[in-house]
Amino acid sequence: MRAIAPTLTCAAPWRRVATGDDVVAVAERAALGTTARVAVWPPASLGVACAAVDDVLAALDQQASRFREDSELSWLHAAGGGIFMISDGLAEAVGVALAAARWTGGRTDPTVCDALISLGYDRDFAAIEQQRDEPPPAPAPAPGWHLVRLDGPLLRLPPGVRLDLGATAKGVGSDRAVRAVMSATGQAGGVLVSLGGDIAVAGTPPRAGWPVTVAEAPYHAGPPQPQLVRLTGGAVATSSVTCRQWRRGGTTLHHIVDPCTGRPADGPWRTVSVAAATCADANAAATAAIVAGWRAVSWLTREGLPARLVGHNGEVRRLGGWPAVSGSPIPVVPGTHVYAGARRSGGAR
Amino acid sequence: MNTDRGQNEGRVPLRELGDADPPGRTRGRRDSFRKARRMSNWTAAALMVGTGAAAVALAHQSFPAAAPAAGAAGQTGGTATPAGRTGANPQGTSGPSVTHSVATTTASGVTVTTTTRTVNGKTVVTQVRHAPASADN
Repeated sequence: MRAIAPTLTCAAPWRRVATGDDVVAVAERAALGTTARVAVWPPASLGVACAAVDDVLAALDQQASRFREDSELSWLHAAGGGIFMISDGLAEAVGVALAAARWTGGRTDPTVCDALISLGYDRDFAAIEQQRDEPPPAPAPAPGWHLVRLDGPLLRLPPGVRLDLGATAKGVGSDRAVRAVMSATGQAGGVLVSLGGDIAVAGTPPRAGWPVTVAEAPYHAGPPQPQLVRLTGGAVATSSVTCRQWRRGGTTLHHIVDPCTGRPADGPWRTVSVAAATCADANAAATAAIVAGWRAVSWLTREGLPARLVGHNGEVRRLGGWPAVSGSPIPVVPGTHVYAGARRSGGAR
Repeated sequence: MNTDRGQNEGRVPLRELGDADPPGRTRGRRDSFRKARRMSNWTAAALMVGTGAAAVALAHQSFPAAAPAAGAAGQTGGTATPAGRTGANPQGTSGPSVTHSVATTTASGVTVTTTTRTVNGKTVVTQVRHAPASADN
């Protein structure tokens, strides 16, 4: 067992964002390799809200980042398998990832980590060499989430199995953040937190809901046009193969990997947005839909999740009551699969 | 004796075993037995219903079927659904009226800053893409 040298990390400063409405205060900062954004009302709560989100992000990064050498997850990986007593926070994050894997039929799988690493996503995305001539090694399917056992704070990790919580971690972060903000503000007003586009809201929403833009990458030209929707509760998350891309041996790779093949998912959807009661549910469902391909339509319909699927040709398919008219509210269905599943398996208490 | 009389005043003497009921009292007693039995049946039924309802209520509190219970704060764990997170909140409560988009759900990892300004009466939306930050997840 090796000693861990604590790393001093300094959070990026929050920057006020002018949205055109004075009745809400919005700020954002870089976090978790992407952008964290907070919107609150009343505006006077912004300082308290940002501080609460800071605490959540620092804790989540310390627990679940596979890119930080001093994170709890990295420590587990360095130990090379075994039975570990882990923190409540990591237990929740792992429990949610395992529950999401069960819920999605293995379309999201936290044991996909080694496949991602073999494809070249072995460090912070900003540090990845964008283009290399040598092709990626032969694909390595994920060992399988069912090999990982979690019973309360006890985690059994088989030797050689590493975890990537990317399909759910930002969702968990947004869920925790809105909860922490509402607690810090004494349940007054309302809050929206976005981590890299995975958005959760809590408290009392603005009249008609939080206005949220659904879009692909901003530099993307052509159809579909961004859509404005209203979120009155719950969460919305988007997964896409149009970002976090790199090239190996003339092949473009991306970060959403099919656990069955160990290769980047190559289904018919390039971007999927899903609304659900919690951001972890929405996050997992959106990623699973990219991996599931055409089967995502029946799965999302069966689960009753409002979803917007964008095909590679830009064609949009809406499911589960996702609004066709801009500015309409998304009918979010109550109930969480991943937190309930995590609780059943003892991963969240 | 005066004392004995005083003590026995108002008391009904116990009947000996085998004594017949006085006429007119048999029916009254039978009625009161019936009434008591009916009352106890109703009491038992009410108790059973009450116990069942309490058990169901407790079971629901212990094992919420869908969304976790609201309220618990936690940045390190816990599964409580945040306040107002069990699906869509009722619209038009006491929130302010917000017209402009406050956030964008988009491909994860794309760092976007959206700024909205009003210039000469027109709304100008600027979106700037930033390089990813130094941490990742």
